[in-house]
Amino acid sequence: MIQFWNKRIKLGILTENPEHDEAFKLIQKEIKERVKKKFAGSLAIRMVDSGSCNACEAECNALSNPYYDLERLGIYFVASPRHADVMLLSGLMTFNMTPHVFDAYRQMPEPKWIITLGECPAMKSPFENSFAINAPAEDHLPITHHIPGCPPEPKEIIEGLLAFLRKI
Amino acid sequence: MRLIARYAKELEKAFEIITVYEGEMQREQVDKESPIIKTLAKQHPSAIWFERKMHDDFGIIIEDTFDKRPLVHQERFPKDTHPLIKDFQDKTLKEAAYLPYKYEEISGDGVFQVAVGPIHAGIIEPGHFQFSQAGEEMLHLEVRHFYKNRGIEKMLEGKTLMDAKPVIERISGNESIAYQLCWRDIVLQASRQELPLSLQKRHAFLLELERVIHHLTDLGFIPNDAGFGAALAYASKLAEDARRLMQTLTHHRFGFGGITFENTDIDLVPMQKWIGKMQENVLDFETWIMDIPSLWDRFDTTGTLSFKKAVKYDTVGVVARASGIAMDRRATLFYLEHGFVMAHETGGDVAARFKLRLAEVKNSLAMMSNFLEEDDTQMEIHTLQDGEYMSFCESSIGELFMAVDIKEGLIERFVVRDPSFVNWQALHIMMQKDIIADFPLINKSCDLSYAGNDL
Ligand code: SF4
Repeated sequence: MIQFWNKRIKLGILTENPEHDEAFKLIQKEIKERVKKKFAGSLAIRMVDSGSCNACEAECNALSNPYYDLERLGIYFVASPRHADVMLLSGLMTFNMTPHVFDAYRQMPEPKWIITLGECPAMKSPFENSFAINAPAEDHLPITHHIPGCPPEPKEIIEGLLAFLRKI
Repeated sequence: MRLIARYAKELEKAFEIITVYEGEMQREQVDKESPIIKTLAKQHPSAIWFERKMHDDFGIIIEDTFDKRPLVHQERFPKDTHPLIKDFQDKTLKEAAYLPYKYEEISGDGVFQVAVGPIHAGIIEPGHFQFSQAGEEMLHLEVRHFYKNRGIEKMLEGKTLMDAKPVIERISGNESIAYQLCWRDIVLQASRQELPLSLQKRHAFLLELERVIHHLTDLGFIPNDAGFGAALAYASKLAEDARRLMQTLTHHRFGFGGITFENTDIDLVPMQKWIGKMQENVLDFETWIMDIPSLWDRFDTTGTLSFKKAVKYDTVGVVARASGIAMDRRATLFYLEHGFVMAHETGGDVAARFKLRLAEVKNSLAMMSNFLEEDDTQMEIHTLQDGEYMSFCESSIGELFMAVDIKEGLIERFVVRDPSFVNWQALHIMMQKDIIADFPLINKSCDLSYAGNDL
């Protein structure tokens, strides 16, 4: 155990990785301010995967690793659509998932927004239309913002969230 | 004899049923007018999903099976629609009347059902778990999937192998390199070419890097599901470091597009340094985590899959090796020469799967260091010849199987069996004797793919 604490003290705080440049710091600051103003300090996101390859989810999980630590900006991934302000929709909207995505959307309290994450829900990834796919999602649901990328990198997701906050 | 895959393809007047066993393949033709076959489920329980899928895909009837429910097709899927038949060309489906799915349930005094999914509480893929509970105790679990079915097998028909690559590398994001390696081997078989050693090394390096990323992520998430978040913070930091290395080498954090027939020079010195540092960090992680008794209290004897059951259910990969089956597609001369040591545990529980992943990360890092080589070999691929091809690769989850038929230069039938497809069917066995709160932990310790399973 003592070994661990020695190491822990030597390592310091990773979140302030020098790799994160000044511009990125400004983005984070602006997000924090806007979340504070528009969502009383906490923006709750419900992630819904409607047929992804799982890379988009992996990048969302990476948002909580010590380098990005999204929660510090007041943005949380919540366990139920009933707690959510925003639905983050990833993946190709499949025939089999469509009714469940609608269900989740209906459960969200007003006001609510949908952000699509990655090229899949917009039908811009290399997948072609097939009998099993109902994408693009915008044909079925009101989409406020789209974060492009295949998958968007954690940094791009953060920038995308800021673009969304500026929009509303 | 281990069952690897069982699938059908459409010929002019018949369906051909192909059953792939370890070291053997059987073919059977049935008339299209009355496509009736017998089940293999009595010898191989894992045949059930293959056979139910065959019915959904082609309408093939499994005469003596006890489970005739649809697998891929769900409540609103139009009846008697078999999309893998060549004649089926619809690009959209109309929702049919809701036909309830009959779950396997245990009933009795005080027994109740808990339905979980398809959308889960965390950032995870959709799938459904139906538990029969007696209080806290799990009596039975049915795993139900295919919510993510994207119709990939059909989507790839009529494409060239080269055009199919961007889709193949996106079937399961966590195993992208493995899928690309299966694709690579099929390309090489079809062009009657051999891969130069230096390219083999580069590809193997990337496959091990993918395994390191995936295992490290799990090494964080498994303790996290037992309430120990600090492990996730540490391991996810290491996983992020490895992912950034993947980006440096392939220009993509998941290695999409990373497997090509060109070698690009790698700077050896910083790379060896990176590997050394990672090895050190993994060792630190290990000494720390092995020393936390409350964690091992949760891991030990939880979610046990006995050797006997692991064999019976034809399990592969991490799950199989943690239950004492010494099986790994990397057990070849090439890998052995570069330091491959088969990881092996016998407990079959969450602890065994956790320790196995740790051992594999360490072995992968050691091999990566042996794979490094300065080289810029390029290779020209010849024309691909028609035929039936099959390939295997040990992904971070387990043995991946791919089969492609090429006719007149285009894909005639595309089959892939993710390791998850067989392992999911063994999950319910691990649940018996455990409580429902252990489920996320057990599920995570296997970390199976939903996307690769559903296709
Ligand atoms: S957008 Fe790309 S990374 Fe995201 S789910 Fe689709 S294929 Fe995967």
